[in-house]
Amino acid sequence: MNVEMTKDVVRMTVTPGNPPQPSSPTARPPRVAVGPSPAMRAGSVLQAIREGASVTSAVHPSVHAHPAAVDIRGFELWYGSFKALHSVSMPIPRGRVTAMVGPSGCGKSTLLRSINRMNDLVDGVRTTGALHVGEHDVYAGGVDVISIRRRVGMVFQKSNPFPMSIFDNVVYGLRIYGERRKDVLQECCERALRQAALWDEVKDRLKQSAIGLSGGQQQRLCIARSIAVNPEVLLMDEPCSALDPIATQKIEELIREIAEKLTVVIVTHNMQQAARVSNYTAFMYLGRLVEFGSTADIFQNPQLPETEQYVTGRFG
Amino acid sequence: MNSPGSIPTATLRSPARLMSALMLGLTGVASFLIVAVLLTVLGYLLFRGFGGLSIDFFTRLPTGNPQDPGGFANGILGTLILVGMAALVGVPFGVLAGIYLSEYGGRGLGAWLVSPVRLVCDVLAGVPSIVIGIVGYELIVVPMKGASAYAGAAALAVIMVPIVARTTEEMLRLVPASFREGSLALGATKSQTILRVVLPAAGGSVITGILLAVARIAGETAPILFTIGGSRLLPGDLDKEFPSLTLQIYNAARSPAPSEQQLAWTGMVVLIAILLVLNLAIRLATARAIKNRVGG
Ligand SMILES: Nc1ncnc2c1ncn2[C@@H]1O[C@H](COP(=O)(O)OP(=O)(O)O)[C@@H](O)[C@H]1O
Ligand SMILES: [Mg+2]
Repeated sequence: MNVEMTKDVVRMTVTPGNPPQPSSPTARPPRVAVGPSPAMRAGSVLQAIREGASVTSAVHPSVHAHPAAVDIRGFELWYGSFKALHSVSMPIPRGRVTAMVGPSGCGKSTLLRSINRMNDLVDGVRTTGALHVGEHDVYAGGVDVISIRRRVGMVFQKSNPFPMSIFDNVVYGLRIYGERRKDVLQECCERALRQAALWDEVKDRLKQSAIGLSGGQQQRLCIARSIAVNPEVLLMDEPCSALDPIATQKIEELIREIAEKLTVVIVTHNMQQAARVSNYTAFMYLGRLVEFGSTADIFQNPQLPETEQYVTGRFG
Repeated sequence: MNSPGSIPTATLRSPARLMSALMLGLTGVASFLIVAVLLTVLGYLLFRGFGGLSIDFFTRLPTGNPQDPGGFANGILGTLILVGMAALVGVPFGVLAGIYLSEYGGRGLGAWLVSPVRLVCDVLAGVPSIVIGIVGYELIVVPMKGASAYAGAAALAVIMVPIVARTTEEMLRLVPASFREGSLALGATKSQTILRVVLPAAGGSVITGILLAVARIAGETAPILFTIGGSRLLPGDLDKEFPSLTLQIYNAARSPAPSEQQLAWTGMVVLIAILLVLNLAIRLATARAIKNRVGG
């Protein structure tokens, strides 16, 4: 897979159209907009990354417009001896949707799972650097992992409702935290299901098994289960990759809605999806954060030609 | 691909077809023979034992008098009590060990214990039950100065624990990792995840393992031969000699009196019937477990 990627990028770097041509009338408006930006200097940031260089991420000033809900600073992660994340620094704006894009294996899931410390489940994981959720240092010694995960919900690529009733699924987190009062559970269940745009479809069968729901409904149930406990941040790892277009559309609408109340970080392979749902987009490559800025800038006015090539689907 | 006229291809394939026919024939004959043998055994058992089935068999005690041998009421009750006692100890230990093997296997404190525990379970499961009976005699009956229900139940529990532990482990391993991840990501602890998600998800299949172990020990004779001592009375004190169906079958079958032998045959029919019921329960539990897993 790496070889293929390398080939692609090599082709890319020798493409004659690659050097900046500010006045080119071809169908590449972003290129025009970038102009002779300083980041254009080499045009081979990815090449440098492949050679193992540590590069400075092109982080747009606009990401600082909002306070960071998740502040990642110089974060590195190893799986055993394999270094999967190279000094990632990324302030994820509060109350906004941030998309992470990049070729398979570039570390998007790894970075996402670092935020709620799900990487703890993997043997031999080691990290350095700092990662804060709000004012909480996620990797401080003696930090309570459980309390971090209560602040940071997660929705997985493959929907994973528990084999229990719809109701029991939604209130699972609340029960774990010790809530026993039936009226409270019922109220939270309804609110979460409404937020997840699932209430009308399931309100008459809350006692039935969640396994009987369709794939899209199951994924929305998982979203309801996560937001039922009022997390500050919701992590979503390719939440639509197993869904049909209609179910995908519903989830995307949902993401835009819930983002009014919390911070969403979503990994996606689908550039249109990133463009549709996110306010900010991060482009990653081989464990590095390459460029991070507002979604409009990343898609229409990126600092790096590599970013532009990736988001327009010309490599990766 | 094969047009009707392509004789060469057909000829080329005929050894394969012959092989296929042979295979079908052999597997068919083997299956038929097995069924025939089983039916013969069961049929003969019914033929010899069915006639002795009567209310007396279930309500009376053995008299020891060939003229009026009585029934096996005490043995049936004794076996049920022994199996219950063994399960009372064996099921929690077995299930807990199975959870340990499956859920705490990878890492953390005590992870080094996993391989030895698994090995001991496998070895223990393979130890002939007569060995467990005699060791139980030496280690429990001799120090306690007498056979007892406790000694018999302990021997049966030793047989039960590795079966329950290993099947529990296997069944928990079949629970998708995504369930555990989902629960942990919600801030659940490992023990909450195991108790609220993993075990319920495996529920039916863990019960299958338990029932399998119960069926296995209900039919055991060797481990109790030396440990419970046997009794002609209804089950009473657990620290005294205790009756069991299998032991009474064993003893009655060795009696020269035809009336006692009849009791043994009938006892066997009853024992097989009990195991059959357990087997049906196992199938039900398994079917339910499979149904639960669909789509999970
Ligand atoms: N549990 C793991 N153990 C070892 N290496 C892993 C593990 N998970 C991921 N990796 C490696 O880390 C890199 C990043 O993986 P991942 O974060 O899953 O990428 P992405 O989500 O962008 O496709 C890949 O090279 C992958 O092979
Ligand atoms: Mg991934």
